[in-house]
Amino acid sequence: MNTIFALAQVVIKELYRRKDFYVLFILTVLITLLMASASIFHDDKIVRYLKDICLLLIWISALVMAVGTAARQIPAERENRTIFPLLAKPVSRAQVIAGKFLGCWLASGMALVVFYLFLGLVCASREHEWHVFIYLQALWLQWVFLAVIIALVLFGSVIFAAPSSNATISIVVVISIWFLGSHLNTVALQQAEPMRSIIYTIYFLIPHLEWYDIRDLVVHNRPLVSGTICGLATLYGAAYTGVFLFATWLCFRRKPLN
Amino acid sequence: MPAPCYILALLLTLCFTLATSLQLRMHSISTGTPSDDMLKAVLGDGRRMFANHYFVKADVYFHSGYYPSIFEQGAKAPANARHMVEEHHDEGGDHDEHEHEKAMDFLGQPKDWIDRFGRHFYSSTHSHLDKPGEAREILPWLRLSADLDPQRIETYTVAAYWLRGHLGKVDEAEQFLREGLRANPTSYEILFELGMLYSENHHDSSRARNLWELALRRWQDQDAVNRPSVLQRWEESKDVGDIQPDINIYLKIITQLALLEEGQGDLRQALHYRELEVKVSPLPELVQVEIDKLKQKLASPPISAPTK
Amino acid sequence: MNTILDIKDLRVEYRNRAIGQTTKLAVNGLNLSVQPGEVFGFLGPNGAGKTTTMNVLLGFVNATSGSASLFGVDVREPIARQRIGYLPELTYYYKFLTAEELLRFYAKVFGIPRAETEKRIDELIKLVELEPARKRPIKSYSKGMQQRVGLAQALINNPDLLILDEPTSGLDPIGRMKVREIIQRLKNDGKTVFFSSHELGEVETVCDRVAILHQGELKVEGRVDDLMQKYKANLEQIFLRIIGYQPVAVS
Repeated sequence: MNTIFALAQVVIKELYRRKDFYVLFILTVLITLLMASASIFHDDKIVRYLKDICLLLIWISALVMAVGTAARQIPAERENRTIFPLLAKPVSRAQVIAGKFLGCWLASGMALVVFYLFLGLVCASREHEWHVFIYLQALWLQWVFLAVIIALVLFGSVIFAAPSSNATISIVVVISIWFLGSHLNTVALQQAEPMRSIIYTIYFLIPHLEWYDIRDLVVHNRPLVSGTICGLATLYGAAYTGVFLFATWLCFRRKPLN
Repeated sequence: MPAPCYILALLLTLCFTLATSLQLRMHSISTGTPSDDMLKAVLGDGRRMFANHYFVKADVYFHSGYYPSIFEQGAKAPANARHMVEEHHDEGGDHDEHEHEKAMDFLGQPKDWIDRFGRHFYSSTHSHLDKPGEAREILPWLRLSADLDPQRIETYTVAAYWLRGHLGKVDEAEQFLREGLRANPTSYEILFELGMLYSENHHDSSRARNLWELALRRWQDQDAVNRPSVLQRWEESKDVGDIQPDINIYLKIITQLALLEEGQGDLRQALHYRELEVKVSPLPELVQVEIDKLKQKLASPPISAPTK
Repeated sequence: MNTILDIKDLRVEYRNRAIGQTTKLAVNGLNLSVQPGEVFGFLGPNGAGKTTTMNVLLGFVNATSGSASLFGVDVREPIARQRIGYLPELTYYYKFLTAEELLRFYAKVFGIPRAETEKRIDELIKLVELEPARKRPIKSYSKGMQQRVGLAQALINNPDLLILDEPTSGLDPIGRMKVREIIQRLKNDGKTVFFSSHELGEVETVCDRVAILHQGELKVEGRVDDLMQKYKANLEQIFLRIIGYQPVAVS
């Protein structure tokens, strides 16, 4: 575990020494504050549109950061050849994958905490109350979502040589699943066989990422998702993360590194 | 001072001169407001698409996020402003409410376990912004929609309805309606809503009458060639379940005018508007009752002198 | 005496993915062993298979057939690398880390306790003379400084076997001298060093035994003194003779 944590620490250090996070955070802050400064019919209690915009920016920033960071981890190790002194130590390839995953995931989590704190502050300034539990639940589910995404991108990074192509393909796949995944069953029912079975199979195979996006519930002050449901969704996300990490290891374990 | 500095100063002067002369020319060419022109230049007709998106977004907020996606084809929920406004009018009654509930039941039974489980993570029950002041949340999207497409009239009427009726912001509602009127000088819908504002909020009957009469004239003037035939066709084959918005606003204007005149004691004028109303109303028997009452009042001698 | 490094019938083929291309034989039937306390020079012209052999020893490349072990443990097991230090030919380190952070990271990988880590870092930074730059990111270092950081990281776990791939390549004469001094010091401390180099004079000075590889096959192996006596020539002449180099007369 020491090795995995040491590797994760390097990834976190890399993220906070790069400018990506700061740029995205400042952009989010600027856009949100700009929207907040607009006087809409002289009503200073309007808050939902701010929550909506801020959450959208958080989701975009977190996705860009997670995909960007995860996509370059293994290719950069190979391209900069830092993998050689690393694997010359008692470090297995499985540990490299686990460390990279953990680093990206923890770094994304830290970034999310900063983003959600900002969201909480903005909303509290208007609503004069803290909806702590729904924010925590939204943060947790988004973090689980990012775990699946990071694992998926790491898997892509051992298949596609260039980080840019991996990042692009991953983002397209993630967005497609996120927005269309839940409707595939409706589409399948409108098709004739064998398309119906094919689409339904895809529907059951893909990770249903839309579950982790509870922005609607946060924006419209809907009740919390029950703890059991949240736990089950976490297990579902963990299972897919495990599947992708295992697939990454299968592809990476025998890959020549010269 | 070295040569590059002179060149730089010369170029800056040239730029400034050009900018000032171009600004004047642009000002003379431009017809709309600067921001309107800028949005038009940047987005072109695409801004209407965005405006529509934001208008729908307001409706999504109105339903607290419970809204059909493009995949829920059975749902007929959104579409127009009437839906967002009339849902809260008592006149629509239980029938409209029931129809709306039926239309918004687009989710149906879960198709599989993923569908069933997924419903915990988004707004899956139908509700409206009912709590006091909650309606304010739809306003930013309506404001944005109006900025992007100033010709979209329902944006002004819906926003004004909520501002004056539920949020107590009568001045803001009037200002917004006047803004809409400047962008759409022939709009009888905005004039009607402005009349409602004067009647219900300012209790200024005379200005309300002026505005509604102007609205009625504008309604008659608009598409003057085809209007009589449209009206005639409607009078001949009206269908209770499908009131055309255009006829609907006409109906509203004359109804309000009839009520106003009756309240002010000008029963003849009220009768005139009721007679117009009965021809187009989807419920003529109810209007006929009102006409009979008015005729009865006109037949009996007046108790006191009417004030206008 | 226990063999520290043992290679038996090692064969490495690289598959060419292009259609119709044959496989490339990088190492063919290599047998080699290194005893504790030895400084072993691994020589050969470019493309002889030295780096491939080292890559197999470090687990970067899998052998097509044959076996390789370190301290009696198969090189495919990560634990086999617990007691080795490796210095790559060029500097491949996380450039956003400082020298101190890099050494701390590798110490953690080896599971060295924190107190010991700090002590070890101080010693190594002093050894490679990087004290003034220890808190600066590696990207700001000169090539020589980066090579010295590399040497420090190779020594962080106080290894029993050091694998050095062209440790003096690209260094100025002073840098080379320093590296040579460090190898000498390690030898005096009883460490085993396995290194490849093109600097035959250097090899002659510090190595106990050498092996010369050519076209993937081991041509010569033995003690430096024995070879020089046997061929009646210095190491450079022996090397050129073995690889079949014919000098061209320059008029």
